[in-house]
Amino acid sequence: MREAPILVVGGGPAGVSAAATLAEAGAPVLLIEQRDQLGGAVHRQPAADSESHVWRPARHRHSWAGLTARLQAATDRIEIRTQSVFLGVDGERRFLFDDRQGGVVFTRRPRAAIIAVGAVETIRPFPGWELPGVMTAGGAQVLLKETGHPLEGPILVAGSGPLLLALSAQLAKAGNPPVAVLERGRPWNAPKALARLALSWAPMSEAAAYAAALALNRVPYRCGTTVTQAEPDGEGLKISIRIGETQALLRVRHLLIHDGIEPNRTGVPLPEPDADVPVLLAGDGREALGADAAILDGHRAAMQVLARFGRADKAAASDEPGLQRARNFQADLARVLRSEPIVPAPETLICRCEGRSYADLAALAEDASAREIRLMGRFGLGACQGRFCGPMIAELRGQPLPAATSPRWPLRPVSVAALARLTTDETE
Amino acid sequence: MTGHFFWNGEPVAFQPGETIAAALLRAGIVDLGQPSNAPGGRVFCGIGACQGCVVAVADAAPIEACLTPAQDGLQLGSLPAIGTWHA
Repeated sequence: MREAPILVVGGGPAGVSAAATLAEAGAPVLLIEQRDQLGGAVHRQPAADSESHVWRPARHRHSWAGLTARLQAATDRIEIRTQSVFLGVDGERRFLFDDRQGGVVFTRRPRAAIIAVGAVETIRPFPGWELPGVMTAGGAQVLLKETGHPLEGPILVAGSGPLLLALSAQLAKAGNPPVAVLERGRPWNAPKALARLALSWAPMSEAAAYAAALALNRVPYRCGTTVTQAEPDGEGLKISIRIGETQALLRVRHLLIHDGIEPNRTGVPLPEPDADVPVLLAGDGREALGADAAILDGHRAAMQVLARFGRADKAAASDEPGLQRARNFQADLARVLRSEPIVPAPETLICRCEGRSYADLAALAEDASAREIRLMGRFGLGACQGRFCGPMIAELRGQPLPAATSPRWPLRPVSVAALARLTTDETE
Repeated sequence: MTGHFFWNGEPVAFQPGETIAAALLRAGIVDLGQPSNAPGGRVFCGIGACQGCVVAVADAAPIEACLTPAQDGLQLGSLPAIGTWHA
């Protein structure tokens, strides 16, 4: 009988780093990726056959080239399944995957699992965030990396975080600079943290390159500015913004929003490093520390699994200083960009899937449990399972949602036809 | 070589390897819902998490436009909003 593989879910920097580390130690690996190419969000590759290349920092290009070279060197020990969506773990501890190309669900019983499914973007809701034409900054960036073409028509970028700057610079370099970048935070209010950030050479040189691209294209970057409303306006959107005490209106085709990232944990198995079949989380899906740290964290998780099976001396403590640096950097960034939560207008949609507004949320008992918010309020019951309204409600109520209920499969909608064609590896 | 799929009956061109979402957006199709759906479907997160860009496929299960490579001849359309057929 063949040795059961170690499962790695997610072909971004953390997953590829983990897969390469495991394979280099001689372990067979099954690497699962939902897209047709590896890379994750940060290293998203141009669509197959496409010659379009979006400008990205040299550091990221080198990181990804290094990771793919390691994968290639260990290719005989890594089975890569692309266009396969991880659905979760069933009652018999089988790991389920939706093979989208084959239209069939398949199962595996791995020896261990490292789940590296990245982050989801958080959104601070305002009336109109649910409209077509409003997209996340990360979603627009992934699209740009794949196609090489920016969205057409006037674009406004708003919210908070370094991604606003990165995306806007890339849009500008690709030929459609945004009309403005609106940062909610006021960095000058946290001078000490800002000074510490300035000492982080790699991200700061990256930020300087982005800022230069924006200056060259005369894109205004406004701090302390928020979007208060988006309304349909012909083919586009009418955006109300607030700059201090001043209100203004902008007409655009696309509004790209982003207020940070959170680990994508919805429905993902809970970490169980000491179970018979160990389950570990890695990368932004464990702790949102960014692309460089994700490579370290994938290595850390792989070494922990290898140590568990007696294939490495001990879990790699060598990754911890780098992870801690990333943690400090993210903490300073959060301090610099911190802004008070805003109570949304009553009509603001919170749960887009189920059409539930802030008024519906406010009507629930103040001490409503996460379960009551779900079952009585219907928040987070829709197709996205609360991946977006969950963090919104957590911020508005100061409590996490969804609660740590035991994860259930499927993590994502799957067709009954694909389930009916289920294949298992039981006979191997 | 480019191909075409159909969105609510209208041909939409795509580049090889690109997603349904990329092709729809380039064609200026931003609202993926039917006029009666509010809010209409849309490409939002780009990573399959929000399910906002799920589209109907003739003779097959609905799919996320942002994850799925476009294919020649696919017949795609707006998904009815949940509940509209029960009203």
